[in-house]
Amino acid sequence: MSAPSCSVGGEVGGETCSALANSSLPPPCPKSPPEYPDLYGKRREAARVQMLEREIGFLEGEIKFIQGVQPASRCCKEVSDFVVANSDPLIPAQQKSQRHGRFWKWLCCGIPCLSLASFCCCCRSECSCHLKKPKCCIGSKCCGGSCSSNSCCCSSCSCFRCCCRSCPDLSCCMPTCFRSCTRPSCLNKKKSSCCRCSCKIRLSSCFRCPKLRLRCCFCNCKNLCSNPCCLAF
Amino acid sequence: MSVSELKERHAVATETVNNLRDRLKQRRLQLLDTDVAKYSVAQGRSPVKFGATDLVCCRTLQGHTGKVYSLDWTPERNRIVSASQDGRLIVWNALTSQKTHAIKLPCAWVMTCAFSPNGQTVACGGLDSVCSIFSLSSTADKDGTVPVSRMLSGHRGYVSCCQYVPNEDAHLITSSGDQTCVLWDVTTGLKTSVFGGEFQSGHTADVLSVSISGSNPNWFISGSCDTTARLWDTRAASRAVRTFHGHEGDVNTVKFFPDGQRFGTGSDDGTCRLYDIRTGHQLQVYQPQGDGENVPVTSIAFSASGRLLFAGYANNNACYVWDTLLGEIVLDLGELQDSHKNRISCLGMSADGSALCTGSWDSNLKIWAFGGHRRVI
Repeated sequence: MSAPSCSVGGEVGGETCSALANSSLPPPCPKSPPEYPDLYGKRREAARVQMLEREIGFLEGEIKFIQGVQPASRCCKEVSDFVVANSDPLIPAQQKSQRHGRFWKWLCCGIPCLSLASFCCCCRSECSCHLKKPKCCIGSKCCGGSCSSNSCCCSSCSCFRCCCRSCPDLSCCMPTCFRSCTRPSCLNKKKSSCCRCSCKIRLSSCFRCPKLRLRCCFCNCKNLCSNPCCLAF
Repeated sequence: MSVSELKERHAVATETVNNLRDRLKQRRLQLLDTDVAKYSVAQGRSPVKFGATDLVCCRTLQGHTGKVYSLDWTPERNRIVSASQDGRLIVWNALTSQKTHAIKLPCAWVMTCAFSPNGQTVACGGLDSVCSIFSLSSTADKDGTVPVSRMLSGHRGYVSCCQYVPNEDAHLITSSGDQTCVLWDVTTGLKTSVFGGEFQSGHTADVLSVSISGSNPNWFISGSCDTTARLWDTRAASRAVRTFHGHEGDVNTVKFFPDGQRFGTGSDDGTCRLYDIRTGHQLQVYQPQGDGENVPVTSIAFSASGRLLFAGYANNNACYVWDTLLGEIVLDLGELQDSHKNRISCLGMSADGSALCTGSWDSNLKIWAFGGHRRVI
């Protein structure tokens, strides 16, 4: 059994604890630490008071300012006048007078299409309408479908959904394998489960999460690299 | 002065502040002689009416594998950058739906993205408290990794929103969970100005959104969890020019009105509001009718004339289109054909006002434009 510490203001010295235990004197108890002036707290309080007094100045200035402010009705008139004076591509009543306009490009690239289901692929100065949207292609290779040279205008594309490059089988590619995840080689395995994610990120501090009044700590990765602020984000 | 004297002064000052705020509130109420809706009805304004195919979804941008959190248009050339829970930024050609870039981010937990005015760089930020800049002319490796051109470090909380200063590729403004906004010099990576903070007059809770005036880029609005929006002048960062009260919940989104003299807000209290920056007046409240719980507003955008206010809500896929003059809902994009399947988290109007892009938790972006009546030439 270790001897308890008995150093209290240097009063006890040289006597063993067993001697103290046997004496009639009450057992020593530690003294409270001396009261040091809370300088940091005082300065912080002074800063808060200064901020409040500055706020008082701002509010008094605002009250003076508002004495000469026009009523809301004049602002409402300005809003109304501005809206009426400016054209709007999205408002039906104004569109009937515009047969051609910049909004046409969203539907038909400025040329008539046979049906509403048509979409146009506009490549540089030429547009052509197709019944299907062009696929993303690299040269003659397309992601997910065939592609003729007349129907695509791709400068650079890549198959974004294929992320597990080390996997020989495309079925091994999981869209959830992100940079922060390890991607073990799948050369010897042909199952999609061989692509696993594990969090390499080790967070020493907690995130302060938006819209939450608490902090979410660490990257909780059981199956996926989940967002630490998963509750509301 | 002793601590007890300071505490007494603190109590007196707090009471004075509260009294002054009440006086200011009462004086403002006296000046609110009407709102935009009452004024417009009195003027006999006709309502906006949409036919079944007047506003259609003409593009669905598929490629993200997680919730879309943010999007931004280029000022020209019709490209969009989007940020998603999947940890990527994707740059889209909005006309052809094709992806021109897919950037894997160093930190997957991104919340915001923005295009530079010249369209050559994109910025993003999120839970890592850093705003990262990527050059679109950099070559990506086979994994889609593009090197970070610049990291804007200094915030002590998450970066909730970022926007480049109009026509200035070297400056952008961020808002943060550390209750501040910062104006950055992108070329040096240093802070030019800090708006708010612990001992400055500014927001007293997380700042969630910023919007810079297109007509006067020295002004920007911020929206915060302290239920206020504030107008700032970048030339005088020591205090907000004006504070706008009224909301009863977090202000999630702010956007300047097209005339640059007003701005809209969207809040957790379920309302959107229109404020005047010069007078501070709250000009209109846009509140859906019904007895149900107030559904938070996630994002807003104005049409080119300001007649339409698009507002995304946190329930299902609702995106109400408000007639800003009459204060009525004229359309719900969530009820149209091809609508999103989940919450709409972000909205953006193209520079020419001809198309609206929406981003959703269903991982897609959609472009909406006027369908209307077409004739074969």
